[in-house]
Amino acid sequence: MSEKEIRAAFVGNPNCGKTTLFNAITGSKLKVANWPGVTVEKISGEAVYKDYHLTIVDTPGIYALTCYTIEEKVTRKCIMDDDIDVIINVVDASNLERNLYLTLQLLELGKPVVLALNMMDIVKDRGMEIDLHRLPELLGDIPVVPVSAAKNEGLDILLHAAVHHHLEGPTGNVMNYSEEIEEKIEKLEVIMEARYPEHSSRRWHAIKLLEWDEDVREDHPVNILNVADKNYEKEIIRQKYKYIDEIVDEVLFHKQEKAAMTDRVDRILTHPFWGVPIFLCIIAFVFILTFAVGDSLKAVFEVILDDFSALVHNTLAAVHTADWMISLVCDGIIAGVGGILTFIPNIFILFLALAILEDSGYMARVAYVMDGIMGKAGLSGKAFLPMILGFGCTVPAIMATRALETEKDRRKTMFVTPFMSCSARLPIYVLFADIFFGKAAPVACFSMYVIGLAVAILIARIINLFDKGTNNESLLIELPEYKKPNAKTIRIYVWNKISDYLTKAGTTIFIASIIIWFVLNFGMGGMVENPADSFGAMIGRFMVPVLKPAGLGMWQIGVALISGISAKEVVVSSFAVLFGITNANSPEGMSLILSNIRSSIPGFGPLNAFCLMLFCLLYVPCAATIGTIKKESGSLKFTMKMVIFQLLLAYAVSVLVFQIGSLFL
Amino acid sequence: MTLYEGTAGKDYEISGIYVENNITRRLEALGLNDKTVIHMMTKKKHGAMIIKVRGTRLALGKHIAKAIEVKECKA
Repeated sequence: MSEKEIRAAFVGNPNCGKTTLFNAITGSKLKVANWPGVTVEKISGEAVYKDYHLTIVDTPGIYALTCYTIEEKVTRKCIMDDDIDVIINVVDASNLERNLYLTLQLLELGKPVVLALNMMDIVKDRGMEIDLHRLPELLGDIPVVPVSAAKNEGLDILLHAAVHHHLEGPTGNVMNYSEEIEEKIEKLEVIMEARYPEHSSRRWHAIKLLEWDEDVREDHPVNILNVADKNYEKEIIRQKYKYIDEIVDEVLFHKQEKAAMTDRVDRILTHPFWGVPIFLCIIAFVFILTFAVGDSLKAVFEVILDDFSALVHNTLAAVHTADWMISLVCDGIIAGVGGILTFIPNIFILFLALAILEDSGYMARVAYVMDGIMGKAGLSGKAFLPMILGFGCTVPAIMATRALETEKDRRKTMFVTPFMSCSARLPIYVLFADIFFGKAAPVACFSMYVIGLAVAILIARIINLFDKGTNNESLLIELPEYKKPNAKTIRIYVWNKISDYLTKAGTTIFIASIIIWFVLNFGMGGMVENPADSFGAMIGRFMVPVLKPAGLGMWQIGVALISGISAKEVVVSSFAVLFGITNANSPEGMSLILSNIRSSIPGFGPLNAFCLMLFCLLYVPCAATIGTIKKESGSLKFTMKMVIFQLLLAYAVSVLVFQIGSLFL
Repeated sequence: MTLYEGTAGKDYEISGIYVENNITRRLEALGLNDKTVIHMMTKKKHGAMIIKVRGTRLALGKHIAKAIEVKECKA
């Protein structure tokens, strides 16, 4: 079969369902959520239609083909440079008016455009109707295909349209501007043709020159001053919207306001006064659920893990495996990796709750609700979105800072996001809070999240003071309609996170556990009986005097903290391996940890445990985060400064809390 | 008057936008042009607000709200 290649790009406004459609067509499992700016990078996938092989590119959502933000630059570059054969313009049909603005710009490129009308079900629910015969006529006879990404409807028709429209090509000019502007476009087209005869999107370039588009002017240094003596962007935008008004008048019927549900919910959730307390209550509810439900489910895992370890131990012993090998497998790998797996119920609940929050449409509201508090830190409320994502995992949170307008805002947000307590730190809190805080354990755990949030905002404020920055009051974000979270979206989201966690357990934590086992079982004279003679103890002892003022003067803690840089869960793994505990997260495991710690530091109590939790919250982020920050900031110096700052801060805070706490307790 | 001085629940017609060029263009691309009608949904004390324009809800900071010159629409 001779396959023909076509390259198609999904382009559209933020939050119009490009990625849901992309997932449905290519069978990918990319993250989807109901707030603008989820996709920050272009991603490609494959699809086959008849004997055509389509490479489909999903792009970050944009409102216009300008180049003010990173997303716009990424998407525009993708369309212009990546020899895209056909543009599939995904449009939120329930919001035709705004979405068509980008459509008109895409049509000017002179490339084949297919319109995918997504969210038609919402249009129907609201009692609106779209004239599907008149709409294509007004858009230069391009194919207009109603689709429902969520229900897998219209996908084949869309691929068919993409293939045949690619063969037929565009039909030419769709909308004409006023005579004055058309005349100038014509002149500029002539100039462009003379200078760049190979250019395909001549009209688009001419219009962009009239709009004084920086990138186009830089790439095409032609003298246009005798044609375009001023910037015509405003006039061009105005005329486009005028044309859109005409289209909407002709094709949209019963444009009634039935979006009342969202407005009613918003009256409560975005209330000028109650907005912030409601947000805090929602977050508190999420975390308390994470601890309470997660904890009640973990007993199941404990039984499985104990049985599994005993089985492996007995089998290895039965086949006369060397003792050191049994120790490596049972005390090293099973203890290190298995202990981490028992926290899966907590992780599951946390991500389930975050997924529901993200898919409901509440996330964008949080940006508005927190805008006042963030503004005083010199950041817009939008910077709070990456920070919330940080509750899940810092790595995607750092990536999400791309949606921020300026580099300065990005840096500052990257700097404070690691203070938001990620899911990897959860096992540490759960374990130590359970051992030392009894009934108050959920409160102790939750306090870490509040402290992390407060530290992040405080640090941002201090940076702003040093920068002599002013309050940032430039929030600009679209608030989507609320919707019932989609089961498939939630499943993809949660499964992605759980599989990341399992992968981490199978790779980073697995390797870290072996290394920890090694440094704890070998010393200068080969394998050692007593871990106190091991390499690990030698390294850890260096840190004892340093950690002592924070109430953590124990070489084992030093070892655990150093190994925790590979991944924060490894702090827990280390304790398991250190004390040879199969399941650190079981009652026996906990009492073993307690007795071992107390044998070194007899008075180790809740205050010490609290300081340990604090230190883990604030100190150096994990290796993966450091790598991401380096990549996203493009600066090793910035990354190093940040790592050192966090280490010092963690130390200062835990010493301070321990010293002051000791006076009272 | 500017949008910042407006009251929640009322409709306003835009008569001009006077803010940094990139933000102006952004607002215009979002459909906030001269004569566009805005409905103010809610407003916080420090000036951030939620507006509805061309069927979309937008959250705006004080800086932007102060830069949008409007006329009140007669009900």
